[in-house]
Amino acid sequence: MRRTEIAVRTEGLTKRFGELVAVDHVDFEIPTGTIASLLGPNGAGKTTMVRMLATLARPTGGSATVFGHDVVGEPDAVRAAIALTGQFAGLEPNLTAKENLILIARLRGHGRRSAARIVERLIDRVDIGEFAGTPIKSVSGGQRRRADLAATLVSEPRLLVLDEPTTGLDPRSRQVVWSTVRELVASGVTVLLTTQSREEADQLADHIVVMDHGRAVAAGTPAQLKAQIGDQRVDVVLLDQAAFVVLSSALETWFSCSADPDRRTISVPAPRGAADLMAVTEVIASAGVSAEEVALRRPTLDDTFLALTGVPAEGDKAEEQIEVPA
Amino acid sequence: MSAVAALRIGPIEPLPPRPARPIRFVRETLVLVGRSLRAIPRVPERLSDVTIQPIVFTLLFLYVFGSAIHIPGVRYQDYLLPGLLGQSLAFGVIGAGTATVTDFTEGVIDRFRSLPVTRLAVISAQVAGQVIEQVLGISIIVAIGIGLGWRPHLAVASGFELAGLMLFGLVAFTWFGVLLGMLMRSSDAVQGLGFAIVVPLSFLGGTFVPIQGMQVVPRVIGEWDPLSAIVAAVRQVTQGIHSQGSWQLTHPIAAMVGWCALLTAICVPLALHRFRANEGG
Repeated sequence: MRRTEIAVRTEGLTKRFGELVAVDHVDFEIPTGTIASLLGPNGAGKTTMVRMLATLARPTGGSATVFGHDVVGEPDAVRAAIALTGQFAGLEPNLTAKENLILIARLRGHGRRSAARIVERLIDRVDIGEFAGTPIKSVSGGQRRRADLAATLVSEPRLLVLDEPTTGLDPRSRQVVWSTVRELVASGVTVLLTTQSREEADQLADHIVVMDHGRAVAAGTPAQLKAQIGDQRVDVVLLDQAAFVVLSSALETWFSCSADPDRRTISVPAPRGAADLMAVTEVIASAGVSAEEVALRRPTLDDTFLALTGVPAEGDKAEEQIEVPA
Repeated sequence: MSAVAALRIGPIEPLPPRPARPIRFVRETLVLVGRSLRAIPRVPERLSDVTIQPIVFTLLFLYVFGSAIHIPGVRYQDYLLPGLLGQSLAFGVIGAGTATVTDFTEGVIDRFRSLPVTRLAVISAQVAGQVIEQVLGISIIVAIGIGLGWRPHLAVASGFELAGLMLFGLVAFTWFGVLLGMLMRSSDAVQGLGFAIVVPLSFLGGTFVPIQGMQVVPRVIGEWDPLSAIVAAVRQVTQGIHSQGSWQLTHPIAAMVGWCALLTAICVPLALHRFRANEGG
């Protein structure tokens, strides 16, 4: 069998739906045994990306290989190597988790007995025994997601593709999914996950591709992406507009700061850290205004994301988004 | 195993050698149909979708309107029940459509498609599972009809003829339903559209009252309504009632086979195309 260090490689991968370019010339690579994350707002093209890699959608341009197999030319070889968890749990709601897993093992080509053994072990390993005999439609959202994760593991995949695995989950279920993903990677599986959450990407991914409007707008490790945004800074939040105006002109004489009148926030670059923080507080004191908050901040992935995509927060803003047809 | 690590959940469970494509197709279809069969007893309400409406119609027409309807030479039960049997094929479109739209939107089908499974098996199993479910529903209607006094005049040969016709009709209409389910985005849309088409066609098709007594416009529509051919065919086979009017009413069995063949010829390629196109888009 061919040895390869690269699990996924895309070159100029493109998907058009009529006029809409859902994925626009995306190049990236995932080394075997790492977690890569596609990070971006709704409609950025993440789902279309993973659907193409999972052979569920055909690229209109460029190419993609999974463990050296072309997604268009050798779809069965790709399907044999990957497992996909979509945004909706891909389980028959009227069957139990166990029945679903057996169904998948049988479709994978296993005989009855072999399928039963695999599923038994899997239920143990993913620890879904307590609800494995309940029809999926009657279990909780978090349990369903765990059953779904178990379903992707039936085929002992080499590449696990998770499309927004924690969207809509409560924090506890989210932690369970995260720890399972980490365990899987420790056992040698490669993971590609999409997410809208910078925190999730930061927590899990070795490599992040930031997507916006179908394009890969940035890529790198979480540290590299944060570094792109630059150094630490001091943020000052003012109580009222008048204080904001006074202080921003005062600070501008000393620093090359940026002011955001909507949030009444002034941001001052602080390469010297605490020393700059002291300097800023002195200016505030001499200007005679009272600040609601003064804080030294290190760049977060959020800043990077905001700078790259112009979309500030996760799902809480009714942005005008392009719906990507499924 | 290659140097590339794969997730191991225990001792290696080797995959049996991959059989030839036709064998895999049959095996995968059977496994997938098994999934549909297991689901049936867990969702009795889905079966009642198929059966409640004919039961309501039976009771309504038999005991409420029936006294005002006189069909010469035949008891109303024996006129109505074959009609309901015929129209149940068309109502099956709605059931098949909603089941399909749910499977597609909830990601079950995507899961199957992301496995190395023959594409044709996924859609064939969808059709076969629906046909089996409808057969169950129709059996319930037959049993209730007989309980209410319906007496079909069936010899062995005509029994097979009826079964064959109904099965062909079911397959044809189920393909139509599956196609509809793939084209639409929600089960509500399928239900809305389905009822808007099926209910008028069923009333005009002579399910409840003879077409010959209708006013000109509904009569002309009814005479060429595909459902009227089906209803007339079932009536001819079960009761020996020969209907009059257009060619398709005087030759209802040939017409029913023709309509169903036409429906199959249109829907199967479209559904397969749509299934693959889905993959491409």
